[in-house]
Amino acid sequence: MPNEILLLIKYTLLYSSVLMMVALGGMFAERSGIINIALEGIMVIGGLIGVLATQMTHGMNPVIQVAVSVIAAGLAGMIYSMLLAFASINLKADQTIGGTALNILATAIAMVIAKRVNGSQSSKLDYTNSSFIFNVFGIDVNVFLFIGLVFLILSFVILYRTRLGLRLRACGEHPQAADSVGINVYKMRYIGVLLSGFLGGIGGFAYIVPAVQSWNFEVGVAGMGFLALAVMIFGQWHPIKIFFAAIFFSLFKSLANIADSVSFLSRLQWPKEIYNMMPFIASMVVLALTSGRSKAPKAEGIPYDKGSR
Amino acid sequence: MNHLEKLKRGLSTVLSALISVAIGLAFGFIILFLLSLSTYASAGEPFTLKQVFDTAYNEGFLRLMKGCFYMVRRGLKTEISQAAPLIMTGLSVAFAFKTGLFNIGAAGQYTLGAFGALYCAIVLKLPWYLCLLASVLFGAVWGAIPGFFKAYFKINEVITSIMFNWIGLYAVNTLIYGGGTGAMYCAKTTKTWVIGSGVYEGTTIPNISVFLSEKPQGLGLYLKDTSIAIFFAIIIAIILYIIINKTTFGYEIRACGHSQTAAKYAGISEKRNIILSMAIAGGLAGFGAGLYYLSGVAEWQPLVSTSLPGFGFDGISVALLASSNPIGVIFSALFIAHIDVGGGYMNASFFPREIADIVSGIIIYLCAFMLLFKTAISKGISRVFGAKKELEGGK
Amino acid sequence: MSEYIIEMRNITKVFPGIKANDNITLQLKKGEIHALLGENGAGKSTLMSVLFGLYQPDEGKIFKDGKEVKINNPNDANALKIGMVHQHFKLVEVFTVLENIILGAEDTNMGLLEKNRARKKVLMLSQKYGLNVNPNALVEDISVGMQQRVEILKMLYRNNDILIFDEPTAVLTPQEIDDLMEIMRGFAREGKSILFITHKLNEIMAVADRCTVLRKGKYMGTVDIKDVTKEDLSQMMVGRQVSFTVDKMDIQTGKTVLEVKNLTVPSKLHKNNAVKNVSFTVREGEIVCIAGIEGNGQTEFVQALTGLEKIKSGSIKLYGKELTKLSIRQRAKSGMAHIPEDRHKHGLVLDYTLEQNLVLQRYWTNEFKKAGFIRSKAIRKHAVRLIEQFDIRSGQGPITISRSMSGGNQQKAIVGREIDRSEPLVVAVQPTRGLDVGAIEFIHQELVKTRDSGKAVLLVSLELDEVMNLSDRILVMYEGKIVGEFDPKKTTVQELGLYMAGGKRTNEQTNEQTKASLAK
Repeated sequence: MPNEILLLIKYTLLYSSVLMMVALGGMFAERSGIINIALEGIMVIGGLIGVLATQMTHGMNPVIQVAVSVIAAGLAGMIYSMLLAFASINLKADQTIGGTALNILATAIAMVIAKRVNGSQSSKLDYTNSSFIFNVFGIDVNVFLFIGLVFLILSFVILYRTRLGLRLRACGEHPQAADSVGINVYKMRYIGVLLSGFLGGIGGFAYIVPAVQSWNFEVGVAGMGFLALAVMIFGQWHPIKIFFAAIFFSLFKSLANIADSVSFLSRLQWPKEIYNMMPFIASMVVLALTSGRSKAPKAEGIPYDKGSR
Repeated sequence: MNHLEKLKRGLSTVLSALISVAIGLAFGFIILFLLSLSTYASAGEPFTLKQVFDTAYNEGFLRLMKGCFYMVRRGLKTEISQAAPLIMTGLSVAFAFKTGLFNIGAAGQYTLGAFGALYCAIVLKLPWYLCLLASVLFGAVWGAIPGFFKAYFKINEVITSIMFNWIGLYAVNTLIYGGGTGAMYCAKTTKTWVIGSGVYEGTTIPNISVFLSEKPQGLGLYLKDTSIAIFFAIIIAIILYIIINKTTFGYEIRACGHSQTAAKYAGISEKRNIILSMAIAGGLAGFGAGLYYLSGVAEWQPLVSTSLPGFGFDGISVALLASSNPIGVIFSALFIAHIDVGGGYMNASFFPREIADIVSGIIIYLCAFMLLFKTAISKGISRVFGAKKELEGGK
Repeated sequence: MSEYIIEMRNITKVFPGIKANDNITLQLKKGEIHALLGENGAGKSTLMSVLFGLYQPDEGKIFKDGKEVKINNPNDANALKIGMVHQHFKLVEVFTVLENIILGAEDTNMGLLEKNRARKKVLMLSQKYGLNVNPNALVEDISVGMQQRVEILKMLYRNNDILIFDEPTAVLTPQEIDDLMEIMRGFAREGKSILFITHKLNEIMAVADRCTVLRKGKYMGTVDIKDVTKEDLSQMMVGRQVSFTVDKMDIQTGKTVLEVKNLTVPSKLHKNNAVKNVSFTVREGEIVCIAGIEGNGQTEFVQALTGLEKIKSGSIKLYGKELTKLSIRQRAKSGMAHIPEDRHKHGLVLDYTLEQNLVLQRYWTNEFKKAGFIRSKAIRKHAVRLIEQFDIRSGQGPITISRSMSGGNQQKAIVGREIDRSEPLVVAVQPTRGLDVGAIEFIHQELVKTRDSGKAVLLVSLELDEVMNLSDRILVMYEGKIVGEFDPKKTTVQELGLYMAGGKRTNEQTNEQTKASLAK
């Protein structure tokens, strides 16, 4: 029994750091006024580049390996998110459609690259993840837990205590007001989207690397990016609430992983899919219950046009 | 004036779609070229750029563009069989767009439609037309749910649809697999049972050969084994076009799509409209799955449970490329099916078939700001025809 | 040193299809209150946007203290000490007053926002000018008048001394308007220069030193207020004599058409009710007007009346038939036409063609529908007739996309559509908002014609002139209640103003007494 609890904690920690980081990313984009539905795709790209960096730094000092591959994943996500920023900010495209395109593209790109790297028809990449995992009090803890907590604190401070945060939030609520006091709305929205790309990229990497030693990019990140969007909404676009929402969703997600090995759960003989479904069902219930009190940024999803006032 | 205006609106739509396609294909070629280059480079032997280019063109791009005609005997059937569900998912997304909704849930509705059709065929052994009906109903229910959430809880249909995509996928796989002992599951192939013969006689949609002579010639020869699903898809596209443009129901849903508030003012029940149009969109996507799986060209694979069916998402490209015009959807679906089949014929040791997905992804990306092209083209046409814009006052 | 602190010389600004500013010159002296007068669409806002750096002029130059300056964005304007109170406030509702004031001009300490110093400065300014603003309140919780003061504080916080006020009085009560005028005079006494954009002549006469007049994007001249009369200004603004009155004959009222009893409507913004226990009737052959300052429950009342929003309690009867349980469509069928307040949001499907919009309230009738199909020929015929009858001008006639039409013609299309339905009751909400004088006169005539043909008209208006000229009876709404009923022939704008501001309230019995006491 304690082993099973430890396992549950392990997976919950793993998933909650992923969901939290990605949801924080989504939060920055939406607080600046851009709906980032491309998080799923950004995670895939971040995960892919992170994995490749891990392969390349194989055998190096673990600290360097972790630093290089995490930064590579973040930058890859950031660069990829630029496509969303360009389409939705400069070209005033429909943000949802643009994001969907990037999701579809990401999986295709990842598969093409993975197959090319393998030189075969398989899009599965192998790597070792020992540098990313520590053992604390008998629980395997991965480095992303700490990275996630740092991002959580940073996000809160940036959003509520700095000039950047104030301006970013103004652009998501009332871009015309921000513009009228000389704030460059486009720039702020770029910052918001790029931050989300950075966090999303690292989040994708954090989802793939600590858990397993090989990943088939055919499956992308299996809906984690969308789940992160639900976490963000449930967390009402607020860092601290996102933190708790991430833990809540991760619990469900973790159950799927340990259902087979946990005796009292396996006795139920429920198929694994039921547990896989749970976070999505939970998010629907939660969204329905909280729908009346949404604190969504007012101007999100609306392209800002300098000409129209 | 009247005709010029119509021409302008129509032409700029078609041209902007073609521009998106051209740019998408251009990017596709660049990727092919780079892949070709990297293959030559890693081989370690000397090579010329012309070789690189020729490989990219002959073994990649040309086959992508040729699509089914690269191997017409098998290819044509595959392409037509794929085009039918693509038209349907495309119509599903397009119809929702007309109501101002983004049906990203076509993939989930398609999944449920597949389940409905296959359940009726394999377990209940019903004739194919009843199975098709079941696929519509299952898809419609799965579409109506996000509509319901949108109408009564004001939750964005995009987020709900995405959630129900995954819920639907997991649910259907669980039900079909049934722990390895599901009635629809064949453990040997890890797929659903092959339908159409034996105890499943009459569960598949008839083939085109019913329209053909005993010994068909030319195209008929390649198509005789293809099911008549494609005709259903085309007929529905035409019906949908008429509903949207010529009926008061179409007037209502388009009003809702353009302006919820104005529609409400006009006494149109927006709640009813949202649920209804999502249900219709879902039914269309579900029907697409019915057309595909009841054609006997593929079986459902419940163990591939981590990714959603691609037809659902391709429906988004199809709809966008057609500017949500149901007739346009027929052509854009054929195009997407064409490059998808072509993607499979590329030389796999150089070029992964997912390049076709990249092209279609780029096309969606471009479609997101197609309006930009449209405005530019429309201005260009005005200039060509020397028409003066009679803008009077106001801002 | 130049005589003028700001000089805009020969400014021209062209938008696609329209010359918004055509060779306009504006000279602002230090310490004066300078009015900028013009009708809606005359180019006032464009000119000010040029001065504030939101638009770049196509031709012309701007001088500050005699030196040419380039103003590329609001930051440049701010650096030149130019500040602006926009017509639609530029405030972030979920931010506090303080956050709104410092936004864009934030002080930081080690990268973190420094709010305490800013709060002190805001409190000091607020006290100095008697603005009485609480820096910690959320903007969404304070009144519109207070929000305007926040906008004023934004300028003061940035030490601006050229202050632009864009139509600042539209949202204020008469009392608040007086306060604002006093604040403006105070600024001028201190040496700040004020540009005051308006189309209200009374306000100009009351507070301005000089006035520049624009008409249809052109410069009409600048005058000293002490040398001119209201009539002179109106002549300059419109280009002809305007009789702001409507010819209206007396007619006998008939049966009761609309009867509203104890209607209460909940508010979406706060927990209180937006409309409280309202009762009145409208009869055949009369125009009843609900007057009041914006935001006193008129919008909610009309939405409840037409079925767009749910009511809490009360009854609405049309010719004795209870409507409260009926849908929007059923109410329309029962005999209610509705010219909505917001023509873009409700009145039109902007991306529909003109002809499609002209059947928006009738496409489901047998005239335009046959077995579920649309009768496009009938729709075209209908459109051609209405376009002719109501003089709706557009680029391509019936197939013009409504979005591309001018505001006046959009409104004419709506008014035409609703009046042509010949329902016994027409509910018209601010039917002339934002229109030029020509369109206003046209719509007024149509409403009077409707009344003369024996129909009932319920008019909701914020413009007191419109209220006085059009109505047969006036109901004043304040904080969701009807606080008084008046005969336009026996009351004055001043009296109405008092009631609209909540300073007075009567019921019908004491109405006459109040008037008597006012007369003394």
